[in-house]
Amino acid sequence: MRRSLLLLPLLLLVLAARSPAAEPPRPGKDERCAVCGMLVAPFPQWVAVLEFKDGRRFYFDGPKDMFVAFFDLPANIPGASIDQVSGVYVTEYYSTRLLPAAEVLFVTGSNVLGPMGKELVPVAGAEAAETFRRDHAGEKIMRFDGRQLVEVAPRP
Amino acid sequence: MHRVKILEYALAALLRRPGKSAAILTAYTLLVTVLCSVLLLTHALKTEAEQLLAEGPELVVQQTLAGRHDLIPERTAATIAAIPGVASVTPRIWGYYYDSLTKANYTLLAADPAASPLELVAGRLPENEGECAVGMGVAAARRIGVNDDLILIDAANVGTIFTVTGVFKAESRLFTEDLVVVPGEALRRFFAIPAGMATDLAVRVHNPGEIETIAAKVKRQLPATRPITRNDLLRTYRAVFDWRGGMMLALFASALLAFCILAWDKATGLNAGERREIGILKAVGWDTGDVLMLKFWEGLALSLLAFLLGYTLAFAMVFHWGVPVLGDVLRGWSVIFPDLHPVPHVDLYQMATLAFLTIVPFVASTVIPAWRAATSDPDEVMRQ
Repeated sequence: MRRSLLLLPLLLLVLAARSPAAEPPRPGKDERCAVCGMLVAPFPQWVAVLEFKDGRRFYFDGPKDMFVAFFDLPANIPGASIDQVSGVYVTEYYSTRLLPAAEVLFVTGSNVLGPMGKELVPVAGAEAAETFRRDHAGEKIMRFDGRQLVEVAPRP
Repeated sequence: MHRVKILEYALAALLRRPGKSAAILTAYTLLVTVLCSVLLLTHALKTEAEQLLAEGPELVVQQTLAGRHDLIPERTAATIAAIPGVASVTPRIWGYYYDSLTKANYTLLAADPAASPLELVAGRLPENEGECAVGMGVAAARRIGVNDDLILIDAANVGTIFTVTGVFKAESRLFTEDLVVVPGEALRRFFAIPAGMATDLAVRVHNPGEIETIAAKVKRQLPATRPITRNDLLRTYRAVFDWRGGMMLALFASALLAFCILAWDKATGLNAGERREIGILKAVGWDTGDVLMLKFWEGLALSLLAFLLGYTLAFAMVFHWGVPVLGDVLRGWSVIFPDLHPVPHVDLYQMATLAFLTIVPFVASTVIPAWRAATSDPDEVMRQ
């Protein structure tokens, strides 16, 4: 029993190493949101990240601000274009882990407020998203297809 | 320059009446000491409880039966773990033990050797049957140390021998002092807790914003349970310490009143000599403002000195001398008391409040009667 307990973290480590994209590092203490200018570190459960091919990384204090920047990149990050983006990460609501935005669903209009008010709350998995929508009076469930947000048809 | 001269004169005036000044200073200092030590200690205990709880689980789920705490079936852990947002659910086994030998209550806790935030001062955590680790208070009460035996009477009234493998020290001794840590299965047998049951479930939650929702879901899905969030516990601790602090202050209210009367009498009752002094000062050319300034400096010097002395004394009492008198009343009712050495901490807001409450009324009560004497005709004042 003891030995298997010791092996478990090792196994997890191996599994983590196998996942294709490594999680981006957590924001530093003085990192500010690239859209609204607020400090990012005090809101660890809301952090969103845009990674660029040249290694630059921009932090946001919520998925909403990240999408504001993403949908109008040149206006918010001078000289940037969508083609240069190599990774879009958001913090999943239930696990507070940074996950690629394409792997989660976004629930709109819920009563869970982020640092900037109403948020697109990232939830992993259709079932969890539906649970979240029910628990927190959410409206729509959206999916990020790499370019834009599209609504997911409600499950029958 | 003018003001400095008045201050100089004020200090000299205080020294000219050493008896009166010393009497007020002593009573004043004593009062501030008592007031400050109660507030400092209450604050320190609350902070300590908060620090400790910060490392605890976000949610504790208890089973209730007829409104009382009961054992919880371990299989409910699976139901709770299935709620989105729950990181882990751990069944815990713990309980209280009354030791008739030392007439004290111990807290017996099942060991979690893998992840224990408790620090040991000597030895190691128990791993095998018949081993235990004890808090410093238990070690002192039973006069035992590492490798000694601790004999406790189990649920079947049979003496059980545990070999002490370690003694705890923790940042906060408030909670580990009466602790006895025993391996899980051994404790289950000791308390005769049926297999598959636990004392409560410790639930870890990733997102602090979701704790309340999860607690509500637990209550809905398992109606016979009582979920207790960390915030609930924090509120309870604050309320308990605030209540005890409030009782202490209520007891001291009479002392406070006595001091107020004394201060009022000493400070306001300008005797004939002081009236004459004011009269002479006015006659030699001081105006009313200067006299008021003089009295203001006198009051401020005295009360500031008393406040600083009192605060320092209270600080030393609470944080260095282990709270000689108040501690017993404030921290609890158990027989094993931890030696209180709370982490020193100065709260500027609290200090400012205390300073305002003690200094301002005193200064006011010295200035106002002086103002009355100073505005009257010097000739008349001197003639009296």
